[in-house]
Amino acid sequence: MSGEYLAFLGLALVAIAGGVMMLNLTKVVHMVVALVFTFVSIAGLYVLLSAEFVAAVQVLIYSGAITIIMLFGIMLTRHQDEEETTTGGFWRKALTALAVFAFGIAVYIGIYRLDFGEQATHLHEKNTEQIGVALYSKYIIPFEITSVILLVALVGAIVLAKKEDEEAQK
Amino acid sequence: MKWETLVQYKWGMMTPEFIILGVATILSLIDLFMPRGKDRRLLAWFAFVGVAIAFVSVIGLLPAKTASILYDTFRLDAFAKAFKLLLLAGAALVLLLALDYKPKEGIKYRGEFYYLFLTALLGAMMMTSSGDLITLFVGLELLSVSSYILAGLRKTYRLSNESAMKYVINGGISTAMTLFGMSYVFGLTGSTNLKKIAVQLSTLTDGGQQYLLALAFLILFVGLSFKLASVPFHMWAPDVYQGAPTPVTAFLSVVSKTAGFVIVLRLFITIFAAAPSHGKDPSSMLLSMQDYIAFLAGATMIIGNTIALKQRNVKRLFAYSSIAHAGYVLVGFAAMSWVMVDSIWFYFVAYLLMNLGAFAILQVISDQSGSEDISHFAGLYKRNPFMAMTMGIFLLSLAGIPGTAGFIGKVNIFLGAFMTEPAHYVLAAIMIATTVVSYVYYFGLFTQIFFRATAEHEPIKLPLGVTIVVIVCAVGTILFGIIPSLAYNFLDQFQHFGDFLQ
Repeated sequence: MSGEYLAFLGLALVAIAGGVMMLNLTKVVHMVVALVFTFVSIAGLYVLLSAEFVAAVQVLIYSGAITIIMLFGIMLTRHQDEEETTTGGFWRKALTALAVFAFGIAVYIGIYRLDFGEQATHLHEKNTEQIGVALYSKYIIPFEITSVILLVALVGAIVLAKKEDEEAQK
Repeated sequence: MKWETLVQYKWGMMTPEFIILGVATILSLIDLFMPRGKDRRLLAWFAFVGVAIAFVSVIGLLPAKTASILYDTFRLDAFAKAFKLLLLAGAALVLLLALDYKPKEGIKYRGEFYYLFLTALLGAMMMTSSGDLITLFVGLELLSVSSYILAGLRKTYRLSNESAMKYVINGGISTAMTLFGMSYVFGLTGSTNLKKIAVQLSTLTDGGQQYLLALAFLILFVGLSFKLASVPFHMWAPDVYQGAPTPVTAFLSVVSKTAGFVIVLRLFITIFAAAPSHGKDPSSMLLSMQDYIAFLAGATMIIGNTIALKQRNVKRLFAYSSIAHAGYVLVGFAAMSWVMVDSIWFYFVAYLLMNLGAFAILQVISDQSGSEDISHFAGLYKRNPFMAMTMGIFLLSLAGIPGTAGFIGKVNIFLGAFMTEPAHYVLAAIMIATTVVSYVYYFGLFTQIFFRATAEHEPIKLPLGVTIVVIVCAVGTILFGIIPSLAYNFLDQFQHFGDFLQ
């Protein structure tokens, strides 16, 4: 059992535990903290895969920016809310569990003893530079469309979240 | 990459996209600097003209050879051209509907209302003409994000809020699934270029990897079935269709659905047709998955048509009817005959005309009465015979009665199911049976319009934009119903979309 394997086990466990806890906790702030655990351990997994740049972005964007914005959102709205427990029937829950397990087994059969041949060895070489070069040469078109998506999302956020009452008072 | 190499690419073939992008940008700027009280419906005409120019430029590009820019991230082939025409025509008609959309509390953000249609259209157009997973996905997201916002633009109307919320959550789940499936494909091949993936997969012999690829196929299909509004991702459709502003509903049921089928066809035919699979004899992954698609197509038709029977709200009724129509088109896909793409294209021409026409009339009636209950259609024949007649045509076409475009579309798909060896008798039987079931609710609406007495007697006036849409759709429905060779002669130049893989 190599060190890499141990690190993977630990990180994967934290990532899944964070996700499960987020679903089961009742206080919104606790959920966000559980989510941070998932985000950070996923960043750790990226490091194991020699994708340092993506790992850094994951920490900056997800664990940093998105979590902070969520916390702001919670603070500025009604943060005392406790989530109501859902009232699905027994059969519904049982069926969902069955489906989840069936999917898990189907994937497990697929990845158990899967052989990809030799491992890539030069993944870590200048990978930030490689991403940059690919982004600004080969993938210019999707890159530009992404900027349109951001613009649309921005417009949408303003239009949908703007307070209407102020206008009426003027 | 140097500027010189970048300039060498033939950017001219992206003209339609550049036009749409430019018009959307200019519209957003005009909207920003326009005085607050000004009537913004002028902007809709501007958007309409932009879409029309883009339509003309696609026609101008028809003789162009198949070519691609930047490693296939953009490619213009027969498939892209044919479906881009459909999307542009659909979006132009939807813009005319949006022009005359007057909900009772008014739409506050009319400017946004118009240019978000254009960005959604841009996303859909990118989905038709790309040979790269990344561009396809980014186009899909642009379409989705724009539609989420459009669905919620009636801010003070509770159902619209619910609609946007449900749409964004379901859409997020489906996007995650699509990406998960794509990640498997990428992991197995190490490339995002569809052609390279196909080459790589054609040498795939390891049983374990084939299993994973099959898994990826199913996950991808489930994820993408959200855009088609077909089983297993159909449950959002009724709520979202009901709450969203009517032009947006029309857009979702026509343009967005077409775009969904476009990405399904392109991805599955390119990637999975070449991949071998063990077991079944003509050993292609796509053919070995045929039964699953056929099952989902059958389930979609049955669920859509039977639940539609109980609906009193006409918008919900049309939501279930659009689920059913997705099922019919999936029959065409599941059969995998050599006329598959042609018959699907024709079906969408017919579907665009009849569905947009029906939504145009529905919009006028629900705007006037403030609700979409079926009872407001009662006695429409007395109040406005022209509307009643055209609505009658659209309903007949949706039901698939001979003499209308809907009939020809259905027959083509039906015949396609028998063209393959072995023929799909069960699927064809389900299609016939559910079509008969659909007569019940289409003719239920029909009797309301023509034979019921009305409570309201004031005549209904048709606004200009809606009138244009209704006339275009009615004429098209009849024309393609009687002379379908018009469309087929047009399709002939594409030679059954043979340049798909070149």
